[in-house]
Amino acid sequence: MRMENLWFTARLRLRSILFGRRVERELAEELQFHLERKIEEGIANRLSPKEARYAAMRAMDGLEQRKEEMRDMRRIHWLTDFLDDARFAIRSLRHTSGLTAFVVITLALGIGMTSGSFSMVDALIFRPYPVPHPSGVVTLASTTHESNLDDFSYREYLDIRGKTKSYDGVIANAGMEAVAFSAEPAATPRIKGGVMVSSNYFHVLGVEPRLGRGFREDEDQVPGRNSVVVLGPDFWKHEFASDPGVLGRTIRLNGTEFTVIGVAPETFPGMQIFEHPDFYMPLAMARVFSTNPQKNFFDDRDDRELNVRARLKPGTTLQQARNELAMLAKNFEREYPKVNRSRGAAVYTQFEARTQEDLNWKFSVIFVILALAVLLVACTNVAGLLLSRARARTREIAVRLAIGAGRFRLIRLLLTESLIVASLGGLAGIAIGYGIVQWFHSKESIVVLTDLPVSLPFQMDTRVLLASLALSALSALLCGLAPALQSTRVDLVNALKSADVEVPGRKRLWGRNVLVVAQVSTSLMLLTASFLMVRGFQHGLLEGTGFAKDHLLMTSFDPRLVQYDAAQTQQFYKLLAERVREAPGVASEALTQNIPLGIEDFDGVAFVPDGFQMPRDRENFNSTMDTVDEGYFETMGIPILRGRGFLTSDTAESPRVAVVNDQFAKHYWSGADAVGKHIRLDSRAGTLVEIVGVAQTIKYQNTFEKPMDFVYMPLAQHPIARMTLMLRSSGDPLQLVQSVKDVIRILDPNLPMLRTMAYEDFYMNRAVKGPRIAMDLVGSMGVVGLLLAIAGLYGLVAYNVSRRTREIGIRIALGAASSDVLRLVMGKGLVLVGMGTVIGLAMGFALEQLMNSMLFNAGGVDIVAYIIIVPSLFLVTMLATYVPARRASRIAPTQALRYE
Amino acid sequence: MSKPTDLVQGTLDLLLLKILALQPLHGWAISIRLKSISGDVLQVSEGSLYPALHKLEQEGWITSEWKQTENNRRAKFYSLTRLGRRQLESEAANWQRLSTAISQVVGLAEGQLSES
Repeated sequence: MRMENLWFTARLRLRSILFGRRVERELAEELQFHLERKIEEGIANRLSPKEARYAAMRAMDGLEQRKEEMRDMRRIHWLTDFLDDARFAIRSLRHTSGLTAFVVITLALGIGMTSGSFSMVDALIFRPYPVPHPSGVVTLASTTHESNLDDFSYREYLDIRGKTKSYDGVIANAGMEAVAFSAEPAATPRIKGGVMVSSNYFHVLGVEPRLGRGFREDEDQVPGRNSVVVLGPDFWKHEFASDPGVLGRTIRLNGTEFTVIGVAPETFPGMQIFEHPDFYMPLAMARVFSTNPQKNFFDDRDDRELNVRARLKPGTTLQQARNELAMLAKNFEREYPKVNRSRGAAVYTQFEARTQEDLNWKFSVIFVILALAVLLVACTNVAGLLLSRARARTREIAVRLAIGAGRFRLIRLLLTESLIVASLGGLAGIAIGYGIVQWFHSKESIVVLTDLPVSLPFQMDTRVLLASLALSALSALLCGLAPALQSTRVDLVNALKSADVEVPGRKRLWGRNVLVVAQVSTSLMLLTASFLMVRGFQHGLLEGTGFAKDHLLMTSFDPRLVQYDAAQTQQFYKLLAERVREAPGVASEALTQNIPLGIEDFDGVAFVPDGFQMPRDRENFNSTMDTVDEGYFETMGIPILRGRGFLTSDTAESPRVAVVNDQFAKHYWSGADAVGKHIRLDSRAGTLVEIVGVAQTIKYQNTFEKPMDFVYMPLAQHPIARMTLMLRSSGDPLQLVQSVKDVIRILDPNLPMLRTMAYEDFYMNRAVKGPRIAMDLVGSMGVVGLLLAIAGLYGLVAYNVSRRTREIGIRIALGAASSDVLRLVMGKGLVLVGMGTVIGLAMGFALEQLMNSMLFNAGGVDIVAYIIIVPSLFLVTMLATYVPARRASRIAPTQALRYE
Repeated sequence: MSKPTDLVQGTLDLLLLKILALQPLHGWAISIRLKSISGDVLQVSEGSLYPALHKLEQEGWITSEWKQTENNRRAKFYSLTRLGRRQLESEAANWQRLSTAISQVVGLAEGQLSES
C-alpha cells in the first residue's frame, strides 16, 4: 500500500514539475468554472451581474490566495521556489559578470587546490584495499619502543597463524624487492619487483587469479621445494603480451627456475599503495631472494621481515582481536625473552596502519592544512566580495522586505546565489584538480624509470569528486551566509531613503574588519609554511646530502644469478675491485650493498654498545647499516671525521671492525671519542666489533630525513651476494661502462650487469623529482594563496575606503587637509594588517614548529621567510589603502557629498 | 463566512471522500451536494473546498478527469481511487468510534460520573 501510494503521488509531483504551466491553467479553469456557476446562481437569485460577481468572489475568500494554497498542496514549492531563485540569481549574476567571474575563479583555485591535495591524501590514506570487503582486512604489527609498525619473523607468523582464533585467515608478505628476472635462460636478466607471500595470500584476500591458480597450501611448507610464481597483471601484459599460454612456462628469478602457475587480476595491483609487484613467490622460496644473510629466515625468531595481515571473522570485534594478539605477544615475551623482550603487538585497521606509516601521513596532514588554508583565503575573498555586493543591494533588499518578503526567504535567495557561484567555482575547481592530478601523472614516468614498479596512484575518483562537491557546497554556505544575514538585517526606513546607506554602529564594520584580519593572517601562515617547505626541500636537495653525486657510475651484480657460492662471490668481488681500479678513466672504485637514497631499504643491525648503560627492558639497540668495501668513503666523498675508513687489511680473519657515523657516535658516546670503542652484535654475548672510524652523517634514505644512526661494515667481514659497484670517473661516467664490460668479460662473461646508469641521473629521478612535485605543489599553494590574498585584500580595503567617500567629502568640506584624510584612512588599514600579521605570525610559527618536528631539521624559525613576506604584505595593503584614499581625498567636497 | 476550522479537524476530507464515493462530481456540484445533504448545518467555504480537493488528489485518494457536463461545459470531475476507498473506510470507522465515544460522554446523566 505504501509503495502504491508513493508511486501514485510521485507521478503527480512529477506532473506538477514537468507540466507546471498546464497544471496552473487547469487550476485557473476549474476555479473559473466554479465562479461562473456561482454568478449564474446569483443572477438567478435576482442579483445584478456585477453584484453576483462580487458575491461569488467573496465566497471564494480570495481567489489568488486559494491558488497559492493549492500550489502549496502540491508540495513542490520548495523546488519551484528554488528554480525561481536560481533564475533570478543567474540574471543578477550576469549583470555583474566581472565580479562573478572573479569570484568563480577565486573559488575554483581554492577548491582545485584542495581537491588536488585530497586526491593525494585519498591515495595515501583513505583508498580501501583493492580486494572484496576491504574493511575486514586488518594489519598485525609487532611493536617496540621505536616503532608501532614493526614486522614479524617467519616463526612468529606461523605462531600467529596457528594460535589466533579471531581471523578467517592470516597472511604474510615480505617487502617488495629487486629480483633479477629473465624469461629465457639465455636472456640477460633485468631487475623487476617481486614479493614473497604466504600460500593463503590470494585466497584470504578474496582475490581470484585472472588466469591459472593461486598458491596451494603444500607449496609453502618445505623450504625451497616448490619454485612456483604468480605474475602481476601489468607485468603479464607488458612482458608476455597478455599471452594465456604463459601458464606452465619457466622463468628465471635470481637465477632459479620458477614455473608460472597463475596471473593476478587487474583489479588487484597490490596491497601497498605505491607498489605494484611484478610477481609473487611463496615464502618457502626465501633462500632465492635477498633475505637478511646473517639470519636464517625460516628459523630465527628475530629475522623480522614479514608484513602480516588478517581477515577478521564476522562477529569478531577489533578489541577481541587486539586482546588475543596482546596475549600472544606476552607469551612470546615469556618464551623467547632474548628476542622478544619488551616487544608487543598491535592490530590496526587500514586507516590506523596507514597513518602509522609516518611520512605519508605527515605529508598528507600538511598538504591538507595548506590546501584548506588556500580554500579559507578564497572563501574570505568571496565572502568579502559578496558582502560588498550585498551592501550595494541594500535598497533592493529593503524594497523586497518592505513589500512583504520574509527574511528567511531572502536569505534563501542570497544563498542560492552563492550556491550557484560556488557550483560554478566547484566545477572549475574540479577541472583544476583534475589538471593537478594529470600533472602528477605526467611526472610518474620519472619515478617508474627506477626499474621497480613504483607509481603515484593519484586519481580523481568518485570519493575525491564527492569531497570536492561537498566542499563547494560548504564554501557556498560559508561565503554566503554572513553577507546574507547581514544584508537582510537592515533598517528599512533608512535603507529606502538612500541607495547605499551606512548605518552607524560598530557591528557592521566589524564583519569586514574580521575578514581583512583573517585574510592577512591566513595568507601569512600559508606563505610561511610553503616558504619553509620549499626552502626545506631545497636545502635537502641542493646542499645537504653530504656526499658527491657527480661523476659516478653505478652498476649492480648478483653472482647468485650464475650459481656462485659464497666463497666464489667473495672472490669475484675482490677481483672485480682490483681490476676496475686499474681500468682507464677510473679515479676510484667502491662496492656497496645499497646506494644512498636508493630504492631498497638498508639492512638493520642489532647491537649493544660497549660501556653504555642498557635500559632495563632492552636487550639491544637497532641501527641501519650498509656493507661497503675499502674504497667506499673516498669514492662517495664522505669525509672520515676521526679514525680511519676500511683497509685491505680488514679481512675475514682479522678482528671485526666497523665505521659509524657522527650521529651514532654522538648518540652513544656523546662527547667522548667513539674510535676505539666497541659494540657487540645482537646481544651482550655477541661478536665484538671495534669502531675504527667516524664518518660524516649523510642523507641515507631520503633527502629530508633527520640525521640517523648508521653503521658501515666491511665487505670482507660481512659478505653480501648482491653489491653495487660505484666508479668515480674523471670524465663522463657513462664512458666507463665499456671498461667495466671488458673486466666482466674476463672474469665471467655470463654475469649480467644490472641497473647500469650514472648515479646523478638516478639521484635526480629518484630523490629530486619526487620531492620536487611536492615542492611545486606547496610552492604553487603559497603563490595562489598570496595572489588571492592580495586581490581580496585590495578589494576589501578599497571597498571600505570608497564607502567612506561621503564622509571624506564632509571632512574636507569642514576643512580637513587631504593629508589628514590619507592618514585617517590608511591608519585604519594598517592597524588591521598589523593585527592580521601578528596572528598570522603566531599561526605560521606554530605550523612551522609542527613541520619542523615532522619533516625537516631546519632547527628553528626561518627568519628569511618573515623578512620577505611580512613587508610585502604590508606593501600591498598600503597600496590598497593608498589608491582609493588618494582618490577620495582629491574629490571636490561638492562632488563627494552628491556621491551615490 | 464559516471557515473549514469550524468542522472537526479532518472531517472535510471524510465528507468529500464520502460524497465522491457515491458518484464522480465536479467542484461546483460537490459544494451544492455538501450543502444539500448536510442541510446547511455544515457550511464549507467555497474557497477552502478546492485546496481540500487538491490535497486529496495529491494524496492519491481521488483522481480527476476533464469531462463535459450535462450543459456541455468542460469541467473537472473528481472520482474516488482504490486508495481513496480504503482511506474512506478507515476514516469512516474512525469517525464512528469517535462520535460514539463523544455521544456517550455527552449522554451521561448528572451524577453518573461520581458513581463510576
